[in-house]
Amino acid sequence: MLRIIKRLPAGRVTIAITFLLLQVACAMYLPYMTADMVNNGVTKGDIGFIWKQGGFMIGLTLIGLVGQVLNPYVSSRIAFNFAAEIRREIYEKVLSFSKNEYDKFGAATLITRNTNDVTQVQSLVEMGLKFLIISPLYLIGGIVMTYKLSPRLSMVFIAAIPFLISGSVIIYKFANPLYEKIQTLLDKLNLYFREGLTGVKVIRAFGKEEEEYAKYSNTNMDYTKTAIKAGTIMSFFTPLITLLLSLTTIIIMWIGADSISKGTMEVGTIMAAITYTAQILLGFALLTSVILVIPKGQISIKRIYEILDMPLSIQDLKETITPAKKSLEFDQVDFRYPGAKKKTLEDINFKINEGQTLAIIGSTGDGKTSLINLMARLYDVEKGSVKIGGIDIREIKQKKLNNIVSLTPQKSTLFMGTIRENLLMAKPDATDEEMWIALELSCASQFVSKLKNGLDSVIEKSGGNFSGGQKQRLCIARTLLKDADIYIFDDSFSALDFKTDAAVRSSMKKKLSNAITIIVAQRISTIMNADLIAVLDKGKLAGLGTHEELLASNPVYQEIVNSQAYKEVIV
Amino acid sequence: MMPSKKETKTAVKLKNLWQTTKRLTGFMKKSSLLISLTIVIAIMGTIMQVLSPKLLGNATTLIFKGVSSKAGIDMHALASILITVTVLYIGVFITSFLQERIMNVVAQKTTYELRNQLKAKMNMVPVSFFDKNSNGSLMSIAANDIDNIANSLQQSLTQLISGVITVIGVICFMFYISPLLTLLACIMVPGSLVVVKIFTPKAKKFNKSYYKSMGDLNSQIEETYQGFSVVKSFNGEKKSLQKFDEINKNMYESGWKGKFFSGCVMPLMILVQNVVYVLISAVGAAFVVSGSITIGDMQAFLQYSQQFSSPLSRLSMFWGNLLTAIASAERVFYLLDSEEMEDYHKAFSNKKDETAKVVLKNVSFGYTEEPLIKDFSLTVKDGEMVAIVGHTGSGKTTLINLLQRFYEIKGGSIQIDGMDIRNLDRKDVRKKVGMVLQDTWLFSGTIYDNIRYGNKNARPEQIYAAAKASYVDEFIQKLPDGYNTVLGEDAGNISQGQKQLITIARAFVADPDILILDEATSNVDSRTELIIQKAMRRLLKGRTSFVVAHRLSTIYDADRIVVMEQGNIVETGTHKELLSMDGTYKDIYQSQFAGNNVTTTGFTA
Repeated sequence: MLRIIKRLPAGRVTIAITFLLLQVACAMYLPYMTADMVNNGVTKGDIGFIWKQGGFMIGLTLIGLVGQVLNPYVSSRIAFNFAAEIRREIYEKVLSFSKNEYDKFGAATLITRNTNDVTQVQSLVEMGLKFLIISPLYLIGGIVMTYKLSPRLSMVFIAAIPFLISGSVIIYKFANPLYEKIQTLLDKLNLYFREGLTGVKVIRAFGKEEEEYAKYSNTNMDYTKTAIKAGTIMSFFTPLITLLLSLTTIIIMWIGADSISKGTMEVGTIMAAITYTAQILLGFALLTSVILVIPKGQISIKRIYEILDMPLSIQDLKETITPAKKSLEFDQVDFRYPGAKKKTLEDINFKINEGQTLAIIGSTGDGKTSLINLMARLYDVEKGSVKIGGIDIREIKQKKLNNIVSLTPQKSTLFMGTIRENLLMAKPDATDEEMWIALELSCASQFVSKLKNGLDSVIEKSGGNFSGGQKQRLCIARTLLKDADIYIFDDSFSALDFKTDAAVRSSMKKKLSNAITIIVAQRISTIMNADLIAVLDKGKLAGLGTHEELLASNPVYQEIVNSQAYKEVIV
Repeated sequence: MMPSKKETKTAVKLKNLWQTTKRLTGFMKKSSLLISLTIVIAIMGTIMQVLSPKLLGNATTLIFKGVSSKAGIDMHALASILITVTVLYIGVFITSFLQERIMNVVAQKTTYELRNQLKAKMNMVPVSFFDKNSNGSLMSIAANDIDNIANSLQQSLTQLISGVITVIGVICFMFYISPLLTLLACIMVPGSLVVVKIFTPKAKKFNKSYYKSMGDLNSQIEETYQGFSVVKSFNGEKKSLQKFDEINKNMYESGWKGKFFSGCVMPLMILVQNVVYVLISAVGAAFVVSGSITIGDMQAFLQYSQQFSSPLSRLSMFWGNLLTAIASAERVFYLLDSEEMEDYHKAFSNKKDETAKVVLKNVSFGYTEEPLIKDFSLTVKDGEMVAIVGHTGSGKTTLINLLQRFYEIKGGSIQIDGMDIRNLDRKDVRKKVGMVLQDTWLFSGTIYDNIRYGNKNARPEQIYAAAKASYVDEFIQKLPDGYNTVLGEDAGNISQGQKQLITIARAFVADPDILILDEATSNVDSRTELIIQKAMRRLLKGRTSFVVAHRLSTIYDADRIVVMEQGNIVETGTHKELLSMDGTYKDIYQSQFAGNNVTTTGFTA
């Protein structure tokens, strides 16, 4: 909370508050003038005084208006600018994350924090700048002004305040847990509805429509009941506050009448005091509404700062070296995911040189993707080192390393935009010709050229308008377009049929004859021609060699080959 | 698809306004008694609320007279007035509590009903509906729009009711006190209208562009974070940040402007009110001096003018809210009105003496007018395993969708055990026809419940047996919570291979006569793949089955392979027969399956 306040621009906030003070001061002084008008004008029958006073009051109202219009002008800019800055800061911070920090959060929550949570804090700032300041002013101002008119009457307000506070605290205590429950149930409702959409075929195939409906409907019932309960408590709130203040008015009348009959008070004073009651009510209602928002905002602030305060595990050294040679070496590498008990990779050793292809094979969970992530330094090793051209990659500037390594992740990732825009990510100054060559190499040129707009064809969200195989080929083209030294393909051929798979690999081989190629694959046919095959088994290197060598002597490799050839044996 | 629809919807909004409102009120029919009760309570409450300033005014007059007549204040009369007012205030408290509480109930019950209907509707629409409407927009209607309706119903409706009654009541009293002052007070109405007319459209314009930038920004953020590794490894941070900054700036600009313009409305309204307040004070004071009204009446009048203006300035806001609620309701109704699956009332001819298990006769079908499958005929014997092979887009998936009756055929007939499936309840069709789909959908719940999904009457032993038969029992046992392990929303906590095995176990429990299988081509390692194959083979044993084949083992196992091209069968036969025909199958086989052979040379021998 404090950190948020510190972030706000002090100068502009002061201006905003000044305007606010102006507005409140005018609003506070008006009833006082009414009292004066009644006491000195009406009671004494002085029409001239009444008109003069009236003129003053209109003037005062206009001054108040200036404050009222200029305050939102300044404060809305503060709040929205604040939100824009925080939003950018989060985005920039996340972009500087390594995979390590990224995994700690996950995409879903990063997105909500960057969007919803910021909006939440923005509205807190906005309301805070206005109501958090205005409501105490109304509260205290009302009491002070009444005190000025009559100390005795102001005591009534002071006596009423503990009642108001305890009333709201009690209601808050009852309502808050219910609101938390409502949120959980709402999440559940949305989850069930979404599942109904994503699983529609399965649900229907198993004839489970009614069950799904019953599940949803039951939660809906729970939700409705809780919402009604919470609503009932909240229905007490405003009427209760109004009642308390109305009773205050009556007491004022009574005490006032008594004072007047004793000659210690004038009629106008009572009238003004009653108006102040209304203002105090307003102040109190505003205050409670802000206070109700604060806990919600605080959760958001906490969630935002969890991102902003996250220390970066991977940072550039002050002095970086650029490797001169092309080679890739793993030297006694150990790796584990943060917080994991077991090492994901243990004692990995190998080296490959320019023009060679390394294939990695193994079961799910054996650490293939982890191995690749280490090459691109998405994570740092725990022990040992990964070297490019003999230089530890931790000594290479990250930007430079990203230029050296070209990675195709397992999941085909395309961005909304055009094919051209997606390809240009890899090489911003690529010509059309270069792009077509890359597409040709990945066997994608045929279907791209059939599209009406060719390179400028639109790619929908997550590449939804292309098939799995087409997406993979576009991603491969993007990887190939980049002028890198090391090209990595993490299971990037899985959706291609054997013919295309073979064609892509053979064209790649020509293009990448001077580079290092790393291929992760499930199919033996994809990797059997590699210069070096690394067989991973439960995080350890179970074998290293060519297809023939491994086939002859490596039991793990034999088992994998055997499993794929299973059917052939029977036939 | 949806956004454009929304656009046109808003354009014709005014035309449908009344109809939609009528329909929405239709949903409140069950609560009509409650609503009439609220109206009665609101009237009572408002009358009490309107009465109290007049009574308080009388009290002031009493005090004033007491002072000026030097006879002293009649404290008894004052006490009786104040007690009456206290009673009125308590009455107001009770009625406004009841009013809010009842409307809360009405709003919640109405949205409860809407939610349930929407969910039920999702069970009634054909599968093609989900191809046309994105999950995102459907979710947005089910969550945001319904929420919006609930909030507006609850707040705006009570405020509208009590607002209107207050305005009427207050005008009556004001008129009763002084017609001339009332006219003065009524200046507020055109004054407020002018303010609203000037500022609201501007605020609306900026707000609209704010929400648009917000949507753009959200999708920008979403994309970057989801494609995190790619952005990072292509050094795309700078470019992403540039794009972000651009949208973020738009969002800031339109955001604060929208807020400013809408923020100006209230103060200006209050200004109008205050000017009127001062005018009334001054003129009223003059009247009091001249003796045409009492001081208490003037005080009451001032309070009335405030009571008059506050619902007036709020009415416009609630009206706006109500309009967005109706727009939301329209989107909900649009969904509720979507076309449902047809139920055939006419009987199609069955063929009782049919010995074949499944007969497709001259079937034609197309998602659009253009037919995708034409004149398709196939007869499958009991227990036969048919593998369907073909290039992407040849109609394989469509064919199995038709067998499941996810879509209705446009011509010909499909018969199971001699019964035309259109004569059967969809439920019965699906009880006979089970399936294991490419996308392994599991719901959030325990593994046990997920397996039991196929048959809710299954005994625990059946569940465990199914898991064992699918070779997943051991894996489940090893989990800390075993069968009670709760799967997350997209079952992210277990691997793809395990998911497939669980879906197979689910099919075991369902135990259907006919099985449809869409084989996955996903990234499962070869050892897990082997287990999946074994489990599948067990599942298929003794059942009539249609398999969209991607695995080599499947085409070897199949009793018959059906080769499809452009919605038609081009070749049928066993693997060996087809291979010797040297036709389409051979081509497909070599491109899709044969790759595996290469690896085995020199090893199988």
